[in-house]
Amino acid sequence: MPDTSRSGGSTDGTIEAVWKLESARIIAGLTRLVRDVGLAEELAQDALVAALEQWPESGVPDNPGAWLTAIAKRRAIDHLRRAQRLERKQAELAREAQQAHDEPDDVLRLIFMSCHPVLPTEARVAMTLRLVGGLTAAEIARAYLTTEARVAQRIADAKRTLAAAGVPFELPDAAELAGRLSSVLEVVYLIFNEGYSATSGDDLMRPGLTLEALRLGRLLAELAPGEPEVHGLVALMEIQESRSAARAGPSGEPVQLHEQNRGRWDQLLIRRGFTAMLRARELGGRPGPYVLQAAIAVCHAQARTAEETDWAQIATLYDGLVHQLPTPIVRLNRAVAVGNARGPVAGLALVDELAGDPALRDYHLLPGVRGDLLVRLGRYAQARLEFERAAALTRNAAERAFLLRRAASLPAGDSGVTLAEAAASFLARSELDTATARAYGQTMRRLRLALGDRRPLATLTAADVARVFTTAWGSAAAATWNRHRAAVRSFGAWASVDLASDVDRRASAPARAEPLDHAWLAELWNRPEVPLRERVLWRLVHESAVPARVVLSLNVEDVDWDDRRARTGGGDWVAWRAETARLLPRLVAGRTRGPLFLSERRPAPSRTPPGADLCPETGRRRLSYERAEYLFKQATKPLDPAGTGYTLRRLIPRAERRGRRASAAG
Amino acid sequence: MRYLMLAKGGDQNPDEKLQAEMAEFIQETAAAGVLLATGGLEPGGTRMISSGGEITVTDGPYTEAKEAVGGFALVEVRSKEEALELARRFRGIVGDGESLIHQVFGPAD
Repeated sequence: MPDTSRSGGSTDGTIEAVWKLESARIIAGLTRLVRDVGLAEELAQDALVAALEQWPESGVPDNPGAWLTAIAKRRAIDHLRRAQRLERKQAELAREAQQAHDEPDDVLRLIFMSCHPVLPTEARVAMTLRLVGGLTAAEIARAYLTTEARVAQRIADAKRTLAAAGVPFELPDAAELAGRLSSVLEVVYLIFNEGYSATSGDDLMRPGLTLEALRLGRLLAELAPGEPEVHGLVALMEIQESRSAARAGPSGEPVQLHEQNRGRWDQLLIRRGFTAMLRARELGGRPGPYVLQAAIAVCHAQARTAEETDWAQIATLYDGLVHQLPTPIVRLNRAVAVGNARGPVAGLALVDELAGDPALRDYHLLPGVRGDLLVRLGRYAQARLEFERAAALTRNAAERAFLLRRAASLPAGDSGVTLAEAAASFLARSELDTATARAYGQTMRRLRLALGDRRPLATLTAADVARVFTTAWGSAAAATWNRHRAAVRSFGAWASVDLASDVDRRASAPARAEPLDHAWLAELWNRPEVPLRERVLWRLVHESAVPARVVLSLNVEDVDWDDRRARTGGGDWVAWRAETARLLPRLVAGRTRGPLFLSERRPAPSRTPPGADLCPETGRRRLSYERAEYLFKQATKPLDPAGTGYTLRRLIPRAERRGRRASAAG
Repeated sequence: MRYLMLAKGGDQNPDEKLQAEMAEFIQETAAAGVLLATGGLEPGGTRMISSGGEITVTDGPYTEAKEAVGGFALVEVRSKEEALELARRFRGIVGDGESLIHQVFGPAD
């Protein structure tokens, strides 16, 4: 029954609606067929263009989703025919493709692909919104306050990276599942938070992101029903979203959880959250970070008034969460919960542990929380300083006014010269030239923000200043550190207080980009689970001191086995030592030509690389740099205190690095 | 945005095929995170009228079966067009009759 009247919207509007409802399934089905997500999306877009051309004339078909799928599939078959006509009978191929039914897991495969850890976070977000949510590049750009060109570029790069890394259209196996799933959940929650924390309602796309995230989460819960963390994330998002009407006041100012009008919470979403939480609980197992965060949200949702909040339970949940997710924000929230459940002294102890965390140095809630706890301890003068500091840090005018009111309601502390007064006189001296005054001014501004304008100068200690240095400039270049140090020494000398004695002068750049040291490497080499190919690659990069890209470009036929070296395409020699020489024959395993390092599987027919990058004996492609880098990061994550993993470059010893640079310059 | 859809008419005694199609449609839209709540409604219902402060309660306001609201669905969608598209699919399954589609205003609307 074709529509004759569509007063509710234009045909274009209908096509857009159909597209957003169907595109994930269509692209997923096509990816199964052509084994290339970039190509699949192009084919699906072709079908969309066909719809935009034909539907305004012919009317919207009865089953628009099926229409789009059929057109896109036909294009895919045409494409496969062109790509493979030499190898296979067309009829056979077409029959195969026609019969290829969409599998229910295809959309899930697509999600795992869009969120693959080989992609940078921003690219994962863009790919997921684009391929699974059906958003246009323009819509994504609007939501993320960036340009359409930049989003389009990000998506194009991501597709290339996926192809180069040979990411298969498969569900991750059991060993990989936890890591891959957490990458998916992270992307969904990032999208949610981007929409949730957008306070300006100027553009509806930003709040629209919470809906996209909720839909993605609900879809995931249906596709992967056996994963408690998925249900945990859904529960968390449903309950957070349930408060959306109550979390802003009449003029848009944020309303804190304990002050919200609970009657405005959306009971439908809360109940959906509870249901999701029940599903997570029924699956059992040790609760993960999303289940724990959802459980905390459930506690708040269950309290009819702020006073009825079960803080003991929430504090216990935070105790568990902080082990799995020890981020500064989680730790601060835990301090609040503990302060409410076990008293302000316990809370304050946790807050003070956070005082030196660089991630929180400009975070106004840290002094705000500290101020609250100090008030409850009757330490009003200190509390007042904290609220003033919080007011100086917040960017929200309504919140600043609120904090200043709180500060003003408390009695002031001891008299004497304050830090702000001393800093002003110090900087106003006529002997300072403009440049020095400006440089010193930056240092003094940071000290005042960190320690509080009204902090009496007499109470400042060298330890306080040292803490500010570590927090603010701990990862800065040595020159920056030393410049601030000089400013504080000058200020201390002027004020006749010892302030800089705990801050040491820095000689060189921080150790971040340093090569990995011997003890660390020994641990890496001794890990038994590292596969042979990775073992050889890492050894070779380390022993030859040649960048991984060059090592990966080597071919078996160019190896000079006797002299432990191989010639690159550019004619240079890459030489190695005993351990590589011992391992290499096992990796080559009798091959006589083709890439030295091969990927795990054969490439998709549509992505067959140039001959030089294909092994003529196994049909497998050359291992890509992106994939190699990804695998090294994954493998070194457990050894990296920061938890991010290392880059292959850090396998190159320092002396050789410098030597190479010198020779490259000469 | 949320839309409330009310369906009038439709087959009073749905056959197995229709029931199966409906179940699949509901399952699919719920799984996609679109359908928040749905249910069938008692055909007659109860009517309450307040007039001059006086309340009158009567049973079954509808004289004809096709006038009765038989079911509702609360959906969360990106646009009115998406809501209409879902309603169109629903009518494609249940056949002739009337659907009423109202946006449910939230804090942002």
